[in-house]
Amino acid sequence: MIRGCVRLAALSLALLMAGIAAPALAVQEPAAGKKIVRMGVTQAVDSMNPFLAVRIVSSSIHRWTYGYLTVPDSKTLQPSADLAESWTTSDDGLTWTFKIRDAKWSDGKPVTAQDAEYTFNTVMKVDAAKQANGPAVENFESVTATDERTLVIKAKKPQASMLENPIPIVPKHVWEAAGDIGANENVVMPIVGSGPYTVIEYKKDAYAKLKANPTYWRGKPKIDELHVIFYQNPEAAIAGLKKGDIDWIGRLQAPQFESMAGDPAIVQWNTPGRRAAYLQINHGAETIDDKPVGDGHPALRDAKVRQALHHAIDKKALVDQVQSGLAVPADGSIVPPMYSDFFWQAEGEDLVAFDPAKANEILDDAGYKKGADGVRTMPDGKRKLELRFSIHTEEPVEDKLAQFLTGWFKDIGITLTTRKLDSSKFTEETGFTGLFDIAISGWSVNPDPEEVLSTHLCSRRPTAAGEGGGTESFYCDDEFEKLYQEQLAELDRGERAEIIKQMQRRLYTDAPVIALYYPNNLELYRKDRITSITPIPENKGILYGGSGYWPVYTVDAVAAPAAGAAAAGGSIVPGVIGAVVAIVVVGAAGVLIARRRKSNADERE
Amino acid sequence: MSATAGARRRTALARFWREYRRNRAGVTGGVILVVAVLLAVLTPLITDPAGLDVTRATGAKMAGPSLEFPLGTDESGRSVLLMVLWGSRVSLLIGFMSALLSMVIGTMTGIAAGHFRGWFGAVLMRITDWFLVLPQLVLALVLGAILGGGVSTIILAIGVTSWATTARLIRAQTLAVEARPYIERSKALGAGHWHIMTRHVLPNVAPLVLANTTLSVASAIVAESTLAFLGAGSGEVSWGGLLRGSYDWGAATSGAWWYILAPGLCIVAVVMAFTLCGRALEAVLNPRLRGVPR
Repeated sequence: MIRGCVRLAALSLALLMAGIAAPALAVQEPAAGKKIVRMGVTQAVDSMNPFLAVRIVSSSIHRWTYGYLTVPDSKTLQPSADLAESWTTSDDGLTWTFKIRDAKWSDGKPVTAQDAEYTFNTVMKVDAAKQANGPAVENFESVTATDERTLVIKAKKPQASMLENPIPIVPKHVWEAAGDIGANENVVMPIVGSGPYTVIEYKKDAYAKLKANPTYWRGKPKIDELHVIFYQNPEAAIAGLKKGDIDWIGRLQAPQFESMAGDPAIVQWNTPGRRAAYLQINHGAETIDDKPVGDGHPALRDAKVRQALHHAIDKKALVDQVQSGLAVPADGSIVPPMYSDFFWQAEGEDLVAFDPAKANEILDDAGYKKGADGVRTMPDGKRKLELRFSIHTEEPVEDKLAQFLTGWFKDIGITLTTRKLDSSKFTEETGFTGLFDIAISGWSVNPDPEEVLSTHLCSRRPTAAGEGGGTESFYCDDEFEKLYQEQLAELDRGERAEIIKQMQRRLYTDAPVIALYYPNNLELYRKDRITSITPIPENKGILYGGSGYWPVYTVDAVAAPAAGAAAAGGSIVPGVIGAVVAIVVVGAAGVLIARRRKSNADERE
Repeated sequence: MSATAGARRRTALARFWREYRRNRAGVTGGVILVVAVLLAVLTPLITDPAGLDVTRATGAKMAGPSLEFPLGTDESGRSVLLMVLWGSRVSLLIGFMSALLSMVIGTMTGIAAGHFRGWFGAVLMRITDWFLVLPQLVLALVLGAILGGGVSTIILAIGVTSWATTARLIRAQTLAVEARPYIERSKALGAGHWHIMTRHVLPNVAPLVLANTTLSVASAIVAESTLAFLGAGSGEVSWGGLLRGSYDWGAATSGAWWYILAPGLCIVAVVMAFTLCGRALEAVLNPRLRGVPR
């Protein structure tokens, strides 16, 4: 009797465990015959709410699931029609009239100009909704829908980047009913959108599942589902790619990218990147009301010293040694050469080449004399040129960069010591409190460089209380400000590009930031799974993390094989875990039964 | 008087040396240590530190052992042999100094807690217990992070986190020594606390302190390597830092065994040498272990 009970208990336990394992299996099991692309990302979604999300992974998901007024053209990256099918500008450049396309939300309701009106007005009026794209509507006077199809935006001042608006248009009928914008996590599945995909499942820090939107106005994408799977670190994601748990991963660093060289199943996607890596130099940080803040070294206020530092850096060696050659040395400023319209390249007189002798000469002439220990002092002889270099902890690439800079600066009589800071402290000291001399930094630039240029405006400096901000340099320069206002108002693209180039020239020669290199866009995907994909721009472009939805819209994949073979995909791990759990449970139950039997036998005697 | 005392000390030392020499493991450890320390001291005289500067590296990236680079090169083309030699200076320095620091704190606390047995000793012991139960590595990591990188801060971080066991040990010995009748005699003759602690207790616990310190140098070197590997390094080339570099730059996947093995084996050898010496000292100095036939 007892024996029977134990056996029954063990059996029910095993069934229970199997029951627990089953849903875990269902999550990953790709249905046979479906075309599914699984993308690995190492950044977790910060919010599914498009008014709040700032990370690349979140804004990418939003780009794929919501419509925008315009989308960068897949060839030229210039604004082209998306939800707005056409537009006109008044002569004074202040009134923009957009004609909204006849499209449908994924729940079947029509997309109207009222939806766009609601979206922009929300960002303009609700403070909580400004988090993601507040600056994009700063220049808006009013937004009104004059009828179902017509949206009128009145601007305070002419704005050239009006067509590059980064705000996803949300369905009014859903969001009005959802209540408080700031508290809305937007996780009611499926999430109603008008982009090529619809989010049908989302688990925080685990995955997001997107289904092709059959009612999408351009037509349904080629694949059925797109899964975005989160990994804690790049190593784990690479292992997942190798095993076939995921099909595609973007935004890689050089060492991880190189580790997959020679794998026949993997395509190594190496194209010009949208990022610029630069040094941020504390040239006398000030708050927004021009009060000095922080403890930057006084020598760095001298543009000559910054120029000398620039001469002392061998950018080509940095690319070879620190980035394994997978980057472009920066003979320009903060806009990478990928954006050929806006990229400015230093030439002739302007060009600061690697030349330690020249750097020494500049410093000698400016009165920074070398002491007996080979370290220079300020012209007044009071303070040595001993600088600090702030980098992040756990970043081998930045660590190596620091070793090189230390070596080169030593040659020109400047001592550099490295400070490793965790990222929140790093942001605080380099963006708000000014407690640094030189810091590593970088920016992923959009097709329109206005955003990155605006990070060097006077108005982006923080308040004394450490609020506001967003400055990348504490820069505040009359000439730069003037040019910025000029480019805002210049509606001719060619003319505007010229002004933007002048701004970069100013940054390059005045050197509040020194661009080091433009890292390549490094991605990997499995060629046995993904059969075709179009990057943006189409010529040598980006797959994941670029602008627009072209790559995920055009991607085509092999259909998932029938059930049994599907184990080769993502289901194998939970499957194995389930089996192990079952074996352990059965084994434990067996031991239990055996013991029970023995004790029964003992009792009988 | 002083002549006889000197003679007595000399014979004691000679006897100690005789005993120690008989301990083969101890001698082996001692030889390894002497070689390691000599190399560390001589490194600046026989090598050029410019080779540590990445901007002056001459070798290929992750090149295997060759005549020019007997232990191969690292990810920037620097000689691993040179880095191991210079790293030994930092690793040994941090090992010795933090063991010394932990010995000083531990001995003082231990003797004081053993001598003053009232509430003062109790409080000291509770503090000791507190440090004993704190996870040492985590505490050292936090200290290293707060104080910022640098050799002295790492010494401090390891030193102040590892003295608790020493203090416990010394307190026990102090209690044993103070129970001896001559302490009572000396008290009756008017000896103060300071006199008893420094003249009677300290000389008697000194052998234990010596053996214990030797052992704790070993654990301090391991602690330094661990901290450096976890990213809380001194910022200078050390064995732990080398291991960290080999991990960061994928030495294992690219088959650069020399980059991993060289610093790894150095740590193993020196730690083992310290342990052998410490055990040998213990055996020689502890009368109960002395003369046990082997």
